Amino acid sequence: MAEKKDKLSTERIHPGVKEMEKSLADGKCSRREFLRTTTLLGISVTTAYGLASAILGKDILPDLISTAHAAQKKGGVLKWGMQVMEMADPATYSWTEKSIVARNIVEYLVETGPDNITRPNLAESWEASDDLKTWIFHLRKGVKWSNGDDFGADDVVFNFTRWLDPKTGSSNLGLFNAMLEETGKKDKKGNPIKRMIKNAVEKVDAHTVRLNLKSAVLSIPENLYNYPTAIVHRNFAKEGGDLSKNPVGTGPYALSDFKVGEIAVLKKRKAPYWGDEAFLDEIRFIDLGQDAGAYLAAIASKQVDGIYMLDLTTLQAAKSIPGIKVVSIPSTQTGVIRMKVNKKPFDDVRVRKAVQKCCDVERQLKIAHQGLGVVAEHHHVASIHPEYFKLPALKQDIAGAKKLLKEAGYPDGIELTCNVGNTDGVWEQNSVAVLKEDCAKAGINIKMNVMPSAQYWDVWTKAPMSLTSWTHRPLAVMVLGLAYRAGVPWNESSYNNPKFDAALDEAEATLSVKDRQVKMEKVEKILQNDAVLVQPFFRSVFTAISENVVGFEMHPTRYYLFRKVSLA
Amino acid sequence: MVLLLLKRIGFMIFTMIIVSMILFMLLETGLTGDPATRVLGNFASDEQKELWRDQHGYNQMVVVRYAKWLGNFATGDLGTSIRYKGPVKEVLLPRLWNTAILGFWTFAIMIPLSLTLGVLSGMKEGSLLDRGISVFGILTTSVPEFASAVFFSALFVFGLKWLPGTSSMASGFEFKQLILPAMVLVVYDFGYVARMTRASMAEVMTSQYIRSAVLKGLPYRQVIIRHALRNALIAPFTVIMLQINWLLSGVIVVEFFFAYKGFGALLLEASLNNDIALLEACAMVAVVVAVSSQTLADIGYTFLNPRIRFS
Repeated sequence: MAEKKDKLSTERIHPGVKEMEKSLADGKCSRREFLRTTTLLGISVTTAYGLASAILGKDILPDLISTAHAAQKKGGVLKWGMQVMEMADPATYSWTEKSIVARNIVEYLVETGPDNITRPNLAESWEASDDLKTWIFHLRKGVKWSNGDDFGADDVVFNFTRWLDPKTGSSNLGLFNAMLEETGKKDKKGNPIKRMIKNAVEKVDAHTVRLNLKSAVLSIPENLYNYPTAIVHRNFAKEGGDLSKNPVGTGPYALSDFKVGEIAVLKKRKAPYWGDEAFLDEIRFIDLGQDAGAYLAAIASKQVDGIYMLDLTTLQAAKSIPGIKVVSIPSTQTGVIRMKVNKKPFDDVRVRKAVQKCCDVERQLKIAHQGLGVVAEHHHVASIHPEYFKLPALKQDIAGAKKLLKEAGYPDGIELTCNVGNTDGVWEQNSVAVLKEDCAKAGINIKMNVMPSAQYWDVWTKAPMSLTSWTHRPLAVMVLGLAYRAGVPWNESSYNNPKFDAALDEAEATLSVKDRQVKMEKVEKILQNDAVLVQPFFRSVFTAISENVVGFEMHPTRYYLFRKVSLA
Repeated sequence: MVLLLLKRIGFMIFTMIIVSMILFMLLETGLTGDPATRVLGNFASDEQKELWRDQHGYNQMVVVRYAKWLGNFATGDLGTSIRYKGPVKEVLLPRLWNTAILGFWTFAIMIPLSLTLGVLSGMKEGSLLDRGISVFGILTTSVPEFASAVFFSALFVFGLKWLPGTSSMASGFEFKQLILPAMVLVVYDFGYVARMTRASMAEVMTSQYIRSAVLKGLPYRQVIIRHALRNALIAPFTVIMLQINWLLSGVIVVEFFFAYKGFGALLLEASLNNDIALLEACAMVAVVVAVSSQTLADIGYTFLNPRIRFS
């Protein structure tokens, strides 16, 4: 397995590892945080577990006991029910489903597992400078592209350069802000236009790449498993820029048939694969449309062996069907009812705060998501994020909301329209409906505009008020950087607060978990006080697999990998 | 007859042109959003969008664009689908074929069944058989497709486990997968056609010439087959031809529910994804089928009933 192949990734041990050892010994950080942070700093997972065991004086076992085992059978065809979407350019993906097909063909430099620990993948090891501003990635040797070319530094440099070119339209711009500089120009919305800093990514030799950051960032390895960061061949753009038509990859499977809306067929790669041999001969992703009931019917009648997701409307039914295993995992997936701060009436923070004050988070979780999840505090940082700082709970305050509305010039109430696309299920619509009921008590009349999920993505960054479903990210700084940093493509609320950006930069650069939590207090408070979003809860996620599926690991971001999966 | 045919074809073309104009105005003139944004995505710069508009003729006058669009359409160039990233024709034709298969089996079961039961019912108006068939027909027609689809799924997929739950045909054509969607369509449509046939048959059975035939001493079977049926089937023929139009919209729900990759599901996907070229093609196909089937019905009517003449 991959972990066996890991070696102590670098001769040099980052001083942060020593700090973390001390923190663990002093009880200032959890075992989980120790493992997570030390692996980010470049030591192997095996070593990290060894260190933790030695410090705590007992054997530390992985959180996630894999269901995979030595007796897994080779061969067979796995049928997976999931929407099959166009998947031309991995850098611009905005649906996880696209990456699930693609991640078996093209791969990532690292892999962040369901336990949120980041492991080597195409990068065999990495090391960070003491100030976390320089990162060196040692790439795995002997990896071949499916067209016979050697994988190397040129491929990685090409990908970074492409991601950070604003013309590509990749959301990765928000993740690697420390590699960008302002051009001095502004776009039509007044946001600064950025470009990649010269030499931000450097080829050191054929299998070594260096990233030079303008500010310290700890989450660089984790960022490299965000779904639009799959590594494509260095000639990807020259050869048409379409993975579905020219599926050159380093992964264990090759694309053999692809029809949007119908089917994607992956066959085990014929050329030798650098990792352990995959078990399945073939994976068939079968598109059953957008009706959750169709997916349940398909798995119940054994037409598919697993499905992408179970939503709340089919969850209870799935539990009662024999032969089906319902798999769930806590996650930081959430619905964010965000308000565009540069559009009326949301350009007035008092209006935003009034809406926020109307929200009853407990009631939201209970009604909209059947209580399956944890309540949130309107700042998009979850209690399962390592850097979470607990702020006092925000209680519903109708009188306060009325007062703010009056001050803002709406003594008789206000009419608002909230768009919702149910992109991850009808719980989104239910969440807006609950908010509508609560807001009505303060004289805020929310008109709910329910739209088809695909059409929602046409307006998600434009609508003055809408609910967007955000997927899980292992670190809060990742999602905050993607969604609230000034000028980044996925900043749907058009939030622009230099104080917030600076506080986030500072938190990103802090190694010690305790210190980072303290710095996150400021970040969370700014976001909460600016009332950019109403975010009532983080939700648990579910899927269903047949009992004959072995080795499947549920992932909080649904980054499903099938190379360890087999059929009984 | 030739004049009649020419008139009908002329009317057919006229209708299609009018519908195409309405479609073009609705979908291609920015009424439903900026086409450049739809194609290039939300992150495209204004320069990129402007370049795209220029390259694709969106800066030309609407009339010029419509003429070009119609010309392309008439010559078989249906444009490129945004969702499927390929020519619309390549997506549309297999889907139409799939719906034709579903439609064929639906009609192959529904027409003989509803005509037989309708005739039996109409032959003895007020009998127990007549009442039974009528009640059953009303009942099935009253239940919408989405409800009967859920009911049949619960029974045959989750309960008895006899049939597959979806009809995606992902591993090639399998007749078993066609049963549930066809069953839903047959059950919904059967009642309507059977009741129309019954009404027509009952009316014929009370007519003077049938009474004369009976009084003349002709065997009952001969009266039914040679005299009653031919006249009684004129009205159901029109109804059946109308069912082709109904099928095109009726399959949307059924194909969506059972994930059948047909024309109905494609029309819905095109609409949900703002895939304008695909939506235009689907809408035009629906219009062509509707107008053509009506024209065929009109012509067929004259053959069935020589008393009817068109001036």
